[in-house]
Amino acid sequence: MRFRLFILFIGLAIAGSLAGVAAPAQSDGVPAAETAGVREIDLDGLKKLIQRDPKDTRPLLINFWATWCDSCREEFPDLVKIDADYRAKGLNFVAVSLDDVADIKSKVEPFLKEMKAAMPVVLLNVNDPEPAIHTVDPTWQGDMPATFLYDKDGKVVFKHFGRIKPDELRSVIEMQVKNK
Amino acid sequence: MKKQYAISLFLASLLIIAFAAIAGSGRNSDLPSPPAIGATIDDFKLPDAGGTEHSLNSLKGKNGAVLIFIATRCPVSNGYNERMEALARDYQAKGINVIGINSNVTEPASEVKSHAAEKHLTFTILKDDGNKIADRFGATKTPEAYVLDASNKLVYHGRIDNSLKIEGVTTNDLRNALNELLAGKQVSKTGGAAFGCTIKRVS
Repeated sequence: MRFRLFILFIGLAIAGSLAGVAAPAQSDGVPAAETAGVREIDLDGLKKLIQRDPKDTRPLLINFWATWCDSCREEFPDLVKIDADYRAKGLNFVAVSLDDVADIKSKVEPFLKEMKAAMPVVLLNVNDPEPAIHTVDPTWQGDMPATFLYDKDGKVVFKHFGRIKPDELRSVIEMQVKNK
Repeated sequence: MKKQYAISLFLASLLIIAFAAIAGSGRNSDLPSPPAIGATIDDFKLPDAGGTEHSLNSLKGKNGAVLIFIATRCPVSNGYNERMEALARDYQAKGINVIGINSNVTEPASEVKSHAAEKHLTFTILKDDGNKIADRFGATKTPEAYVLDASNKLVYHGRIDNSLKIEGVTTNDLRNALNELLAGKQVSKTGGAAFGCTIKRVS
């Protein structure tokens, strides 16, 4: 009986690890279009990212950026530091790239590597950006970069269009990670 | 003790109000808001990339004008070069002139001039040193279009169309607005959101 349980345990462990290789754990609940690197999402994927799993009570930080956006590139090191400082404290940070899907391997991933970025990054691939922009915020006109912080209940507690002021963002995150 | 409690409560309330204000605004507070649809735009003067000064009223067509904030180095703006040129040609004959405005501090007039020649942009491009006109229009990105009617009333503010890739265009928001204006109708969709490059302002 013990041996059978042992075999069952080993079997489950192997199956679990294989499943992990085939579909890496997604911290944001968005289905993966790729198994590694930058994942592609559509409008539904963006909605899932924002709505997320109701059981996930971590504050959620979303930054919309692109490699062709100078201000986005300039603020990225600050965001990498924020991710490093607050992920262990319970912040869920997802960066949403608005680059062309053809530029994932040639521009997006090399930039993330250069930045030593560790946060999950998805690429929004939509033909018409307006529904996506208004899904995120009806007052947003697509100015970039754009940064949104959602509290444990999914309510926007901070939004900023243009380059972030790191101290301002950090103070709001600090408050949210304490409240989670 | 009661006094200390009251002060703490007051400070906490201030903090909550401050964070609510931060969360609610979003737009970079350093930038002015764009004029409302229906607002009349005052005439202004700016030099073109060659240094010749023009006024808005001297450049607009008899039926109005399209002002587009553009850039030389922005891939999104550059993705629209051919479409902007086609727009200028198509609507000049209908009495609406396209005027480009470059407000990027990082792109000097000489670059604007050579870029226009290289990309075959024949419409007038004004150089907005000090981004005063970008501030007046609340323009934040490139490309960003504003349509003025014959009396300089703002009737459309937003994107050119739905797709950076020309083969993906399904909604010609700007052309639709111009056609409605020319037909004497009220513009039904007065704006459209799209991603673009941030205008580099003077610090």
